[in-house]
Amino acid sequence: MSLDQAEQAALPAAGSAPRKPGRKGGAVTGRPGRSRRSGRWWTPWLFLAPALLLFLYFKFIPMASALTMSFQEVQPYLGNKWVGTENYATVLQSHGFREAAWHTVVLAAGQTAGSMALGLALALLMEGQSRRLGFVRSAAFLPVVVPIAVVAELWRIMYHPTEDGMLNSLLGLVGLGPSGFINDPDTSMASIMLTGIWRGAPYDMMIILAGLTSVDRGLYEAAKVDGANRRQRVWHVTVPGLRSVFSILFILAAIRGLRVFTEVFLLTNGGPDGSTEVVMTLIYKLGLEQNRLGVGAAGAVLLFVATLILTVVVQLLRRRESK
Amino acid sequence: MKRSRWVGAGVLASALVLTSCSSGPAGVDAKQNSKAPLELWTRTTPGGPGEQGALKLAAAFEKATGYKVEVTAIFDDFETKLQQRAAQKKLPDIVMNDVTQLGAMHSQGLLREIDLDRIKDSGQIIGQGLDSGKSVDGKQYGLPYSAQASALLIRKDWRQKLKLDVPQNWDDFAAMAKAFTTQDPDGDGKKNTAGLAAPLSTKRGYASWYFSNFLWAAGGDFIAEAGKGTYKPAMTSEASVKAMQWFRDLGCKDKAIQPGAVTMDTPPTNETFEAGRTGMFVVGPYLLPRFDETLGKDKYEVVPMPKGPKDATVLAEGGSVYLMAGSDNQAGQDAFAGFAVSAEGQKTGMAGATGYTVQLPVNKTVDVSQVRTDPRWKTYAQAYEDSGRYAPSIPNWTPVRQATADTVNALMADCGLNTEAKLGELDKQLADILKEQGIAAS
Repeated sequence: MSLDQAEQAALPAAGSAPRKPGRKGGAVTGRPGRSRRSGRWWTPWLFLAPALLLFLYFKFIPMASALTMSFQEVQPYLGNKWVGTENYATVLQSHGFREAAWHTVVLAAGQTAGSMALGLALALLMEGQSRRLGFVRSAAFLPVVVPIAVVAELWRIMYHPTEDGMLNSLLGLVGLGPSGFINDPDTSMASIMLTGIWRGAPYDMMIILAGLTSVDRGLYEAAKVDGANRRQRVWHVTVPGLRSVFSILFILAAIRGLRVFTEVFLLTNGGPDGSTEVVMTLIYKLGLEQNRLGVGAAGAVLLFVATLILTVVVQLLRRRESK
Repeated sequence: MKRSRWVGAGVLASALVLTSCSSGPAGVDAKQNSKAPLELWTRTTPGGPGEQGALKLAAAFEKATGYKVEVTAIFDDFETKLQQRAAQKKLPDIVMNDVTQLGAMHSQGLLREIDLDRIKDSGQIIGQGLDSGKSVDGKQYGLPYSAQASALLIRKDWRQKLKLDVPQNWDDFAAMAKAFTTQDPDGDGKKNTAGLAAPLSTKRGYASWYFSNFLWAAGGDFIAEAGKGTYKPAMTSEASVKAMQWFRDLGCKDKAIQPGAVTMDTPPTNETFEAGRTGMFVVGPYLLPRFDETLGKDKYEVVPMPKGPKDATVLAEGGSVYLMAGSDNQAGQDAFAGFAVSAEGQKTGMAGATGYTVQLPVNKTVDVSQVRTDPRWKTYAQAYEDSGRYAPSIPNWTPVRQATADTVNALMADCGLNTEAKLGELDKQLADILKEQGIAAS
């Protein structure tokens, strides 16, 4: 994460450096007798301009027009028509919206918890400097790098619902199954969750690994001297030390969870019997497949608001806790 | 700091002004110019055989009439790109796209009405094909240039091994599906085959799309016409319920549909047929070249769908020529539509082993076997002419297909559900959809 931020910060600066205005700014700083803080007021804006322009055109304007579209019946050729909150009503009252919202929360919660637990376990196993560990860590990280379309196709093969299916033959060894996995309304949600955890855990592992290096070694030793066993050391030293890492992971995973689309779309498309329908697949069906962009926009705005509320709540909780 | 904030706001505001597009009056007739090149968009993979076919057709049209055509092939996000052009009020002159897109494009005001008197040879178009281009108010907004219908593919070697005849009715059909499932037709000693290949995912409404072949043959319907361009839901009619029950039994009782069907769209389903895991498949002719290559021409046969409780109706689909609104060369548009449906245009469209635009001809005077000697094409052409039926041209067919696909998918996935109760729910949903589109029968 910190690497990402560093890169983003570096980009606009690098972009603006060779530009002409940059040189002008240089002339200004060269002038003698100028106080340190009172440069031209627009100098910072100039440095920010390239990034702001990009954000403006590729983020803010599209977001603003999505907001407008959510109150319109979008028909570009005849001219858009204002319809008030009708689009929102269409989404909220649509068949199965409530189930979809519930499924999204269940899936997001399950995937977030599962990925973080598995990620922590993997991180604890693979902590250290050894060279071989580096290789194993890369191997464990592979699921994140593989395109989701490939992941979905692989899992579909593994989930084959007959006895000769890959996972079913494993289940058969311990006397279970065969399970329908994604083809059975009772197990489809858990199957998608498992795929999501498999894919998400290594990502969490990487961030937790980075966080682990910041945990003071002295604390482990102190705990050991006090007679804490391995599990107690993990629970009372490692986990509290990683609190900030967990809260960031939680926000990221929750946002990812709410927006979950690709794996559901590719594995089940909300079926069978609507058992895996999530908000995004529903919005996709209502807005894009039916070519009603206004409805799609309304759904996107709703999802944005939900994400915003969640993020703000988590931030407030964190702040209160740190006080 | 305060000032800088104002500057930020100023930049934002000016940028917004710059980007907000000027919206002029829509649908105004442009000044006509018969020399203007016609811009043609076709929904097919750029660089693929479909584009080759469109280019060939355009070249023949240019040679025959002297108009100029510029072909653009677009596959991904075709509708979105068309919307972008609509926002600029600069639509292409001609669009060649799926026949089911009529309602959506018409309700957006993108199409201009077609005057059949101005279309040469429009009288030669096959009846149901011509009707497929009519909007719900009965006006012509599209002309079919290519059609396809479903027929039944059977693993010939399996059928002969089990000494079965080609099915003549639904009982034969079910018996064959069952035999293919239980009697080890591939002889490997394992129970790893299923009778019928069926894409029953909800994706793009596949479950509904596939089931329509059975529903209509049983005399059932998704929505039934109730006069004056209005419709009423029909999934709880006796014939519809029976069709659903029969199809469900095929999956739930006989286990004669491939495992995992409820999450499969067409690509994985095609694979089950070519990998020898399923023995029957109801599909259009576009898959023949593929199966000839992967499975072998001698391994399977193409036969008409057996007669159901009512008749042998199968789903008809195809592509239409749409004349877009606001064109500055309407004479050219008419000429192209006329050429595409004419005997010459249809034959040009069919020519070639690959890279053809016309699957089955829509012109009565054109016999498919004049151009294609393979008798399997004749089977398809016959199925289309005798039993082909299009989805109705209501303003937006997608919600109907989605809702029915969800229900068919549910009933096939969960064998414990009550058929009638579930179809009753579906009918309520369909009633809402029809009402929203303003075509519900009161």
